[in-house]
Amino acid sequence: MTSQYNFKKIVIVPTSKDFIDIVLSKTQRKTPTVVHKQYKISRIRQFYMRKVKFAQQTFHDKLSQILTDFPKLDDIHPFYADLMNVLYDKDHYKLALGQINIALHLIDNVSKDYVRLLKYGDSLYRCKQLKKAALGRMATIMKRQAQSLQYLEQVRQHLSRLPSIDPNTRTLLICGFPNVGKSSFINKITRADVEVQPYAFTTKSLFVGHTDHRYLRWQVVDTPGILDHSLEDRNTIEMQAIAALAHLRAAILYVMDISEQCGQSIEQQVALFESIKPLFANKPLLVVLNKTDIIRLEELRPEQKSLIQRFIDDDIPVMEMSTISEEGVMNVKNEACERLLAHRIEVKIKSKKVEGVLNRLHVAMPKPRDGSDRPAFVPQKVIEKRLQKGPKEKKKTERDLEVELEDDYSLDLKKNYDLPADFKYDVIPEFWEGKNIADYIDPDIMAKLEELEREEELRIESGVYDKDEEEPDEEEKEIHRLADKIREKKAIIAIESRIGRSGGKPIIPRAGRKRERSVSRLRTEFEELGVDMSDKKGAHFARTTSRSASRPAIKKARADSTGRVRSSSRVTPRDESGVRPGEMKAKAKKMGRKAQGKMNQFGKAGEADRHIAVKMPQHLYSGKRGIGKTDRR
Amino acid sequence: MPQNEHIELFQKRYGFRMDYQERQRKKKAREHKLQSKMAQKLTGIKGKIFAKKRYSEKVQLKRTIKAHEEKKTRQKDEGKTPEGALPAYLLDRESTSQAKLLSSMVKQKRKEKAGKWDVPLPKVRAQSEAEVFRVLKTGKSGRKGWKRLVTKVCFVGEGFTRKPPKYERFVRPMALRFKKAHVTHPELKATFCLPIVGVKKNPSSPMYTSLGVITKGTIIEVNVSELGLVTQGGKVVWGKYAQVTNNPENDGCINAILLV
Repeated sequence: MTSQYNFKKIVIVPTSKDFIDIVLSKTQRKTPTVVHKQYKISRIRQFYMRKVKFAQQTFHDKLSQILTDFPKLDDIHPFYADLMNVLYDKDHYKLALGQINIALHLIDNVSKDYVRLLKYGDSLYRCKQLKKAALGRMATIMKRQAQSLQYLEQVRQHLSRLPSIDPNTRTLLICGFPNVGKSSFINKITRADVEVQPYAFTTKSLFVGHTDHRYLRWQVVDTPGILDHSLEDRNTIEMQAIAALAHLRAAILYVMDISEQCGQSIEQQVALFESIKPLFANKPLLVVLNKTDIIRLEELRPEQKSLIQRFIDDDIPVMEMSTISEEGVMNVKNEACERLLAHRIEVKIKSKKVEGVLNRLHVAMPKPRDGSDRPAFVPQKVIEKRLQKGPKEKKKTERDLEVELEDDYSLDLKKNYDLPADFKYDVIPEFWEGKNIADYIDPDIMAKLEELEREEELRIESGVYDKDEEEPDEEEKEIHRLADKIREKKAIIAIESRIGRSGGKPIIPRAGRKRERSVSRLRTEFEELGVDMSDKKGAHFARTTSRSASRPAIKKARADSTGRVRSSSRVTPRDESGVRPGEMKAKAKKMGRKAQGKMNQFGKAGEADRHIAVKMPQHLYSGKRGIGKTDRR
Repeated sequence: MPQNEHIELFQKRYGFRMDYQERQRKKKAREHKLQSKMAQKLTGIKGKIFAKKRYSEKVQLKRTIKAHEEKKTRQKDEGKTPEGALPAYLLDRESTSQAKLLSSMVKQKRKEKAGKWDVPLPKVRAQSEAEVFRVLKTGKSGRKGWKRLVTKVCFVGEGFTRKPPKYERFVRPMALRFKKAHVTHPELKATFCLPIVGVKKNPSSPMYTSLGVITKGTIIEVNVSELGLVTQGGKVVWGKYAQVTNNPENDGCINAILLV
């Protein structure tokens, strides 16, 4: 399981000036730009309200994107939370994000207020000024966030460059004083190219490398050196190492320099070990003595040896190695990996999850049939022969030659050719006397060609290549004929429809067409095709009922649940579709007439026709009344 | 160096190209060409923004150049006669000062008559009724037009309740009611957001004052207890007058100067 502790996907945080520029230019590009003062006031208002709302939305989107992208310190693994606290100061980080959040809400409020005000804008000038004020206010709010934005951008850049350490996988953690050889060790076992220099604190941050052991991937984390003082006095660099030690469940390799070249004596190194011992709880620990090429463990003074002996007494394994001469490096790695693996398996067994797995596992041991032992068997002669042959001679490879000769070596592929020595290195031409050399490679080539041809003739004669063509019998012929007919008919239909589509002739609508699918049509078509349609008894179709509902049906036609006759395949006219006959139909007709009446009265084409023929008909707008006043017209 | 700073690590280990410094220098020397190309090409709003930025850059450049060009010179010290020093033959005359006194008294009297007070904005444009009110049509088919909608920002006190809608003549919409003003202290040059207590006088018409309409030049009373001013006698000052300096209906906020 690789948890994606990869903080590279955080959106770029622009500076406050750039932020304002981006949003304002986006507003200018994405909203309509032209408005005149003779437009209707509602249109002007809408124009400016749109700009204010758009700017607010853009600010909101960008700021909330920042807020969601930055990791919340409570949601990530405690190792990363601690690391971020060490590097960026948890309080400052939270404050910066809080300020951005406040700015977000302030901008929303500004937009709300000004949109409310815009509703009462009664001239273009006033609306424009209000929009200017609104956008200006939002820009001022963003200007005040300049510091927070700058800080967040720096955090983002640093965060995206953190090494991707997976806190849950198998990890080896290397710690110790500065300059003891931790980075050299990690350089030896992984491909991480960590800088190694003679001064202390060369490694200033955590480095990660990967190595393999037992077909598994192991993470190796190199930490900056830790000095021996109290937790409060530690600087940022050391705190990173402490954070790694505290939160990563890893095998700890405490590296010591027994030659004291790092500048600290063995007593000091042991003192450091004692002071950070609480961090090693529940983790497989290994003490590694480095720089043994200078001085070996046996050559140490007895007081120093006793200190080291204390480790051994405490059940902590002590191993020696030298990163320069590479002696013991692999042993250390293997030992650490084995211990970590054992520890992890132990923890897993103790946890509850293992039962779910163990329940499904069953190791089957074959039951022995009888008590007799059946060891591996090698015949005696083979053993003797093997002993006789002696050790296998290693063939000298080209690589060995190359190493031997170094500069004088050149690859010569022709030296193993099976030719006499004077012919070996000759250049072979392609043509000779107008003929291809390739044709004459083989002296028997013509004979071989003739033989091949003869064989081919024989094959053709015997009929290896003949297709199995049987005479098609009656059935197959019939099928072929029908297939041809169908193909022809399809082509005709296609051509007819194509002709039918062209031409601008008006077509009768569906309801006006005659009944297309009828029994008589069925009959004629099938008779054309040659099917015998005279047998009426076995037929599944019947004469349909007549259209008018008044005459009773001769044969009761099949009707569906609503009572409609299904065998009538006529399209229902629009004023009857969806309307049950009877009261519903009468009501529908009445409503239709009522609606139509008004339209007819005013000479309108339909509901959407808003044209007024005569705006001021004379009989309504002039003249005295017979009775009543002409106050209201 | 962190693990993933590959470029920097490479530079540290293997150094730079032989012509690296030369190329950097030449690139920098060509920058003015890019600038001029941009200045010629950019049009529209981007061009304006670019021109503004470039102008401020040029101003800075000119300033630094001028600062380099300044030389330390000695200037002739014009021996100015101190004020109030009179030549010997005028020593006993005092007539001019008296005349001055009189004329200032006359001015004071004139001011009082005219009613012009010593405020930051002595004269403001009068707002006509057509500007401040908009006719609200009511009634059947919108034929009655006796209601007016106030189109300027106004202040209604706390505990204000509208008259029954059927009878209210002047409608003051809630969106245009403001409670706070941004008041600047003229000497401290600091601005505070203070609650408004009331509208003292609107220069255009007393009707506006009674309605609470705030336009440019209106005198409002603000609650200055936030500032912590104290009188000579030891009493706390909590209300002061301020004059509105902007058009609140155009800006959406009330900016005022405190009258000290």
